[in-house]
Amino acid sequence: MSSAGVDAILFQETPSPVTLAIEDGSTQSCYVHDDRFAHSAGKKPFASGPRRTPRKSLIVVLPDNHVVSPDLVSGQLAVEGHYEIDVILACAGQPAGIAALQRRIRDLQVLLAPAGTPTEDLRELAMNQALGDIVTLLSGVPA
Amino acid sequence: MSRTLPLSVIVSTCESGATLEEALAAIRASDLPRDSYELIVVDDASRDRSVAIAARYADTVVKLPLRRCGPAYARNRGVELSRGEVVAFVDGDVVIPADTLTGMLAILEARPEVDAVAASRHERPGARNFVSQYWNLLLRFGEERYSSKSAQFPTGCGAVRREVFIAAGMYDEWRFASASLECLELGERLLARGHRVVLSASLQAAQLRRWSALGICSEIWTRSTLIARSLGYSRMNAVAPSDVVFTLSRTLVPGVALLGAMFLAAAFVPSSAPATRALMALACLVFANFPLFRFYARARGVGFAMLSAPVHVLIQIVAATALVKGWILRDVLGDVAPDATTQAYAEVGLEVWPPIPRRR
Repeated sequence: MSSAGVDAILFQETPSPVTLAIEDGSTQSCYVHDDRFAHSAGKKPFASGPRRTPRKSLIVVLPDNHVVSPDLVSGQLAVEGHYEIDVILACAGQPAGIAALQRRIRDLQVLLAPAGTPTEDLRELAMNQALGDIVTLLSGVPA
Repeated sequence: MSRTLPLSVIVSTCESGATLEEALAAIRASDLPRDSYELIVVDDASRDRSVAIAARYADTVVKLPLRRCGPAYARNRGVELSRGEVVAFVDGDVVIPADTLTGMLAILEARPEVDAVAASRHERPGARNFVSQYWNLLLRFGEERYSSKSAQFPTGCGAVRREVFIAAGMYDEWRFASASLECLELGERLLARGHRVVLSASLQAAQLRRWSALGICSEIWTRSTLIARSLGYSRMNAVAPSDVVFTLSRTLVPGVALLGAMFLAAAFVPSSAPATRALMALACLVFANFPLFRFYARARGVGFAMLSAPVHVLIQIVAATALVKGWILRDVLGDVAPDATTQAYAEVGLEVWPPIPRRR
């Protein structure tokens, strides 16, 4: 799947599949599990309109057979020093260790793409979901 | 996370979707170790796929919403987020060879007296059409002929020590809300503060943008107007003689003088046809620009040099007209400034994201 092949990403009520429309007419599906939908009652979404400070997003990219340390992600969040930060984990396949990250990060949004999705495509897919004005992209390390 | 990276590469982009992928891929293909630099892309309100393309390669993507503020503003936002001791600015339509970033860092490390280093323009631009080739060679001519006198901070690809850049006041985002002379003005400030900028002939960057005749006329019009209105022709000519506006305007005075003399002489010849006079006029301008056309002939052949003559005369006329317009505007309206709303917001110190352009 090339970058040029991803024409659109369609969101529905999670955790239903996200459909990637490919140029040749076929589609691929990935899943978004977004804790913000599950626990949205007490949480404010990003406000629209003028803001005093930039919104920030953190994208963690995990291609096949890659992992990320929850400490690394927590450390990055601490560096950002921002209370309301949008964290997206973009994975190819079903990487291990997501549960630990979900426990550590309260509002983790998980984007599950088919196994074998290239890193660049994962980054692009995650960017389409990122609400932040400043988006930091982190990559996992080989398992 | 400490500020310990040797280099931050900042790419400002605005509707650069057609060239951005190649530009960013070239940076990522640099022979610099990946953990020794960060890549920050600042998107200036693009409506194309620039942000998605940036996400494929960058460590940080900054999305500036609402309205375009220009590359000076975008690069300043990138520097504010950067962690490198040196910041390199690469345009979204410029592709660099693998050794350019390494070479820039090596120069800054080996020569402490140098604070900024510029990559020279590659002889072969990415676009193959005649106008792009003509424009690239015109800029190269200025670089080769005058950069030994004074190197200006480049637009396409250059690196500067971060602390020097910040101490100099960063780019002037207040006056330069569009891509124009922000680098020229920054270069002047760096020189005025005693910093040294060098142009490296061995480090090169190739521009991918495809230029049209209308595009270069527009670029020349904007640059010439701003130089005359805002920066000062004589002052800029002294600090940045290699700029394209001076390459164009320098030969105008002798060219016009020669032309005047020829017409005066022709007045005494009763049967001179209009076509003959037009040819004589063209010959005068070609003669005045002889070093440039010789440069074209050496680089691309005599045919290319002959084809470039009418285009060159056209943009010389555009430059001359814009310079006059700039001088008039300076006397009537004064220096350039943002719109009244921006000035009012800046006056009251409104804190918003993205920030109001800062006055130096």
